[in-house]
Amino acid sequence: MTLEEKKQAVIEEFSMYDEWLDKYEYLIELGKALEAYPEEEKTEDKLIKGCQSRVWLDYELKDGKLYFRADSDAIITKGIISLLISVYSGRTPAEIAADDFGFVNEIGLRENLSPTRANGLVSMIETIKQAAKEMADQAARNEKAVPEKQADVLTAEDVAALQPLYSDVILALKQVYDPEIPVNIYDLGLIYELNIDKERKVSIVMTFTAPNCPMADEVMHEVEESVKRVPGVTGCHIELTFEPVWDRSMLSEEARVDLGLDYEEDDYGKLS
Amino acid sequence: MKPEEIRSQFPALAQTVYGKPLVYLDNAATAQRPVSVLDKERALASTANANIHRAVHKLAVDATEEYERTRDIVKDFLNAGSREEIIFTSGTTMSINLVASCFGEAFVHEGDEIIVSVAEHHSNIVSWQLLCQRKKAALKVLDIDEFGGLQVDSLEKLISQRTKIIAISHISNVLGLVNPVREIVRIAHGHDIPVLVDGAQGSIHEEVDVQEMDCDFYAFSGHKVYGATGTGVLYGKKKWLDAMPPYMGGGEMIETVRFSGTTFAPLPGKFEAGTQNFNAVPTLQEALRLARQFQQDPEVAQNEWAITHYLTEALAADSRIRVYGVPRGTQVKIPLFSFSVEGVHHEDLALILDKMGIAVRSGQMCAEPLMDRCGVTGMLRVSFAPYNTMEEAEYFVKCLNKAISMLI
Repeated sequence: MTLEEKKQAVIEEFSMYDEWLDKYEYLIELGKALEAYPEEEKTEDKLIKGCQSRVWLDYELKDGKLYFRADSDAIITKGIISLLISVYSGRTPAEIAADDFGFVNEIGLRENLSPTRANGLVSMIETIKQAAKEMADQAARNEKAVPEKQADVLTAEDVAALQPLYSDVILALKQVYDPEIPVNIYDLGLIYELNIDKERKVSIVMTFTAPNCPMADEVMHEVEESVKRVPGVTGCHIELTFEPVWDRSMLSEEARVDLGLDYEEDDYGKLS
Repeated sequence: MKPEEIRSQFPALAQTVYGKPLVYLDNAATAQRPVSVLDKERALASTANANIHRAVHKLAVDATEEYERTRDIVKDFLNAGSREEIIFTSGTTMSINLVASCFGEAFVHEGDEIIVSVAEHHSNIVSWQLLCQRKKAALKVLDIDEFGGLQVDSLEKLISQRTKIIAISHISNVLGLVNPVREIVRIAHGHDIPVLVDGAQGSIHEEVDVQEMDCDFYAFSGHKVYGATGTGVLYGKKKWLDAMPPYMGGGEMIETVRFSGTTFAPLPGKFEAGTQNFNAVPTLQEALRLARQFQQDPEVAQNEWAITHYLTEALAADSRIRVYGVPRGTQVKIPLFSFSVEGVHHEDLALILDKMGIAVRSGQMCAEPLMDRCGVTGMLRVSFAPYNTMEEAEYFVKCLNKAISMLI
C-alpha cells in the first residue's frame, strides 16, 4: 500500500465509528496490540515531552526505510502512536519528510483530544518528521557531490541582503506573547534558532517554557502567521524542541526587567 | 436549597456535551457562575463602565462605589478587622506572589527560611522558590503522613530562628482535607512567625474568619467562589501590609510623584496599582453572598455530606482504586476526591469520561511535588459543588467503572 492509500484506509476505518467512545475503543485495541517495547530502552532520550502521558519513540533505518517503535503509559496515546506507526513505518525518510500529516486532522484526532494530549500528538508527529528529515538530509548529503551542495551556501552578499529581513522577522516574533507570562516569546528566549534561506523561507526552532503548555498549538500558529505576514518572507517552518529544556537563564535582559527578576538591583529607596 | 434549585441559577450546567448532559465535576479548578454574577458584570459593563478612583463624573463615581462596596462585603465575608486589610488581586496566585515579593523584600534575607507543605499548589511553592533564589534563602517542607494529613507534630522541629514565614493551604486542592490552620498559626505565633493561608479551596467550603484563625495573610480567587475570572483577594494584617513595600508601581498607588521621589498611597491603594478589574470585582458581591448562603444552608451541607459519603464508599469498594487524602479522627474532607486506578492511566480515564459528558481533572493538578510524594505521575480528580446532585455522583461512578473496564 502506498502512503496515500494507507492514509485513506485509516480515514475510512475511522469513519465507520460514529461515536467517539467507539473510536476510543478502536484506539485502545490498537494500543493493546502494539508490539512490545523493551523496558530497558525506555530512556530519557527516547522520551517525547509534551504529553500528560509519557511516550517513548525510537527508530532505525533499514534498507533505506524508516522503522518506528514506540510505547506509552497511557493506552489511548499508545493507540494513536500505533496508528501513526502503521501509516509511516517502512516508508522512506524523504516520503515521510514531505508528508503534511493532514490525515490526523481529517480523522478528527487533533480537535477531539484535550489540549494537552493534542500537544503530545503534535510532539509525536514532530519527532517522526524530525527523524525523517534528518535521515533524508543525510541521504541527500551522501548522494550529492560537494560542489552542488554549495549552491545552498549563502555568500557574504546574501547574508548582508537578508539582514533587514532578519530584523523584521525578529520584530514579528516580538509581537507574539507567551500566554502565561507577559513577555514576548523572543525575549523569553523561546526561539532557539532562526534561519532565513536564499528563497527567503524562514525556519525557526523554538520551545515552550513547559512541555505541557496547553496553548502550544495556538502560539505556534500565531508565530507562523506573524512571520508570514512580514513582507518578503516566502514561507515559515517551525520546529518544536525541548532540548535543551528552557530555563530562566534564557530570558533576555529586557524580559528580566519586565518580570522584575532583577529585583535586588531595584532600589526602593530611590523611589521613596 | 436543593441542588436542583441551585442548578437553575447556573446556565452553563444546562448544556449538553457530545449529546450528553454536562456533569461538571471540575469545580476545584473553577466554579460555574450564576445568573446574578453574569448579570452583574454585564450591567456594570453596560452602565457603569468608567475607570475608578479617578474622575469626578457620574459613571466613575458609580463604578468606584460598586468597587469599594465590594471591599466591605469581602471584609465581612472574611470577618477582617478593617477594609484596609482587603487588597484586590487577579487571583490567589497573584495574592501569594504579592506577599512573597513584598513581605520577602522587607523581611527575608540571606540564610533565612520559609516553610511550605509538600501538598501545596505550585502557586504556593514557586512564588517562594523565586523569593528564595533572589534572597539566597531556603525553602523547608512540611511533610504529610500516609493518609495525606499534614504532619503538624513535626512543625516545631522545622521551625528555626531563621524561619520568616509559613505558607500553607487551608484545604489542599488534591487531598481535599481541611488542614488544622488554627493550630499551625498558634505554633507559628509562638515563635513570632507569620502565616499565609492559601484559601483557594478553603474559601469555598469553610466559613472563614480571619480574626479567629489569626492568620497573617489569607488569599483566595473569585472564580472558584462563583465570581468572575481575574478577581482575587489578599487579606493581610495591617501591621504587615504597612511594613511591606508596594508590589507594582503605577496609577493610584501613589500619593505624590516627583522625580526626586514618590510617596505611596495608604492601604489598600498602595497594593492596587494601575487600572483595576472594576467590571469584574463587584461580581464578588453576588458571588460571596451566594457562597455564604451555601455554606450556611443545612440542605446543601446534607447533600455534600451524602455525596462525600457515597463516593468514599464507592471508591473504597474497588480494590484497584487508591484515594489520596483520607480523613482521620475529626478531620473534615470536602467533596473532592483525587485517586489513581491500578493499571490505568489517569488521562485515558479523563478522555473517556469527557466523552460521556463528565468533566474531571487529570494530571498533576499543579502539585508536582505531591505527585512525587505519592509516587504517581498524575491522578484523576472529581470535585463537587452545591449544584451537583447525587444522581451525578452515581452516574460518575457508573461511567468510571465502564471506563476502567474499557481500559483493562
